[in-house]
Amino acid sequence: MIKNSFIYRSRYIFSILIILLLLSATIIPENPLYNLNWALLSTLIVFLGILAFFWQFEKKQMNSKMIALIATMSSLAAVSRIAFSAIVSLQPATFIIMITGYVFGAQIGFMVGAIAALVSNFFLGQGPWTPWQMFCWGMCGALASMLSLKQAGFRLLSFAVLAGLCGFFYGWVINIWHWAAFMYPLNIKTFLAVYASSLVFDGIHAVGNVVFSLLFAGTFYTILCRFKKYI
Amino acid sequence: MLTYNSKDNLIFKLHPFTQMTFIGIVFILALVFSHPIYLLVLLMSVWVVIAAAGNLAEWKGYMKFSIVMVLFIVAINTLFARAGTTIIYRGPEIPLIGSLEISLEAIAYGLGMSVRLLVIISIFCLYTYAVNPDKALRLFSKMGGKSVLAITLSVRLFPLMMKDFQRISGIQRCRGVKLATGSWWERARNSIPIISIMLLSCMERSLQLAESMYARGYGSGPRSCYEKDLWRPRDYIILILTTIAMAVGIWSAVKGWSAFSYYPVLEQVDPLELIGAAITALALLVPAILNWGWMKWPILKSRI
Repeated sequence: MIKNSFIYRSRYIFSILIILLLLSATIIPENPLYNLNWALLSTLIVFLGILAFFWQFEKKQMNSKMIALIATMSSLAAVSRIAFSAIVSLQPATFIIMITGYVFGAQIGFMVGAIAALVSNFFLGQGPWTPWQMFCWGMCGALASMLSLKQAGFRLLSFAVLAGLCGFFYGWVINIWHWAAFMYPLNIKTFLAVYASSLVFDGIHAVGNVVFSLLFAGTFYTILCRFKKYI
Repeated sequence: MLTYNSKDNLIFKLHPFTQMTFIGIVFILALVFSHPIYLLVLLMSVWVVIAAAGNLAEWKGYMKFSIVMVLFIVAINTLFARAGTTIIYRGPEIPLIGSLEISLEAIAYGLGMSVRLLVIISIFCLYTYAVNPDKALRLFSKMGGKSVLAITLSVRLFPLMMKDFQRISGIQRCRGVKLATGSWWERARNSIPIISIMLLSCMERSLQLAESMYARGYGSGPRSCYEKDLWRPRDYIILILTTIAMAVGIWSAVKGWSAFSYYPVLEQVDPLELIGAAITALALLVPAILNWGWMKWPILKSRI
């Protein structure tokens, strides 16, 4: 156990070092990466993050039930992204991903989030935002699973609070790309301007997440827990 | 349901790897270039290829939606950039921002970045409409069998669930549940049964899917191949030429030709530096030219 945690910690430090190295390479002059486009670099880092999760998933022994579960849940999240916005002009996709992550763990939560973003974009249109959406939704699923490790059973209040925070988290991560790709000069003023201009959208997303958690979380949790016994 | 719709022209009949390479190279070049003429030329060649693929109508829809983003980018850049020297308008003091200064350079920079955004949006429009998602995913199935299987299954389930959703909400309406009228909170509450029924049927479906996979012997041995994509001469021609475009693009970036300094004063354009743009554009136009030949001469169509 001690050895295991040592390996995990060193891996953790190692990956942070790689990211810092990549970032610092662009501000230290006289090397081939100097002044590399930040939009490209940030997308690359996000892409590596997604790849790491997918790679872990490939290495793990998976049975057909888990693969079928991931496929159907991500499809449900993708459908809800389109279908429900017609009824209440909010999308419960983030909530569905989070409750899946809460019940089934970080790996399945991340995969469902990432695949939901990818698949719904096959129908809505792919773009440079796809890897960012994949990453953000995947992380929402992973964050929810972390909450489930902290508390036994299901507590609506803490889940709803986390869902609201995830609404902001989602927008704030995607804003990084928007800022790096289209703003000049890249300074704190333009950074804050981008964040201020997205505040309303993020707020709506967060409120929607809280509302969906209050409305659906109890039912979803019972249904998913019942299904978990089959796997 | 899927945005991809098969069409009978060369762009649609390419190997998915060739299509993905073309799209990837244009995307990278759009981020590498900052010279407005290089970016405009890139936009033009993508536009011609989209026209050759017959997706201009969809592309126009994309452009309408990106105009808003373009306005936003230009506005933020002109308001916040302070490095320009050719000041067009000097306004009053505004809290948070400071004194209002609008410079020609900032507007030019905003427009240049907008062209970059348009190139990126156009190339993703081409990807959305011209690349078959199943074939594109199949390229990665060697690397990651399980995740690609999950993605493909999910793409396949999507239309099915959309139908489920319409069926369930139709039944609810027949029973008098109001989904289209009433206050926002009422509609939200009325949609609870729909979403929980959908979740239940989705869980049921997932179990059936897993049983069916098990019955077909999923994971019992090495995977077999259902369908193979053929490599044809056209793929080699286009692959070689897009690689040349990439090489020329990178080379002119290294030489500093494709860079453009907006600040403090707009740079003078040296016509000699535009050679890189011309070669890149010609190489990237090849799919459209080949498509034109393919439509015109049956003999070329049978050869490539």
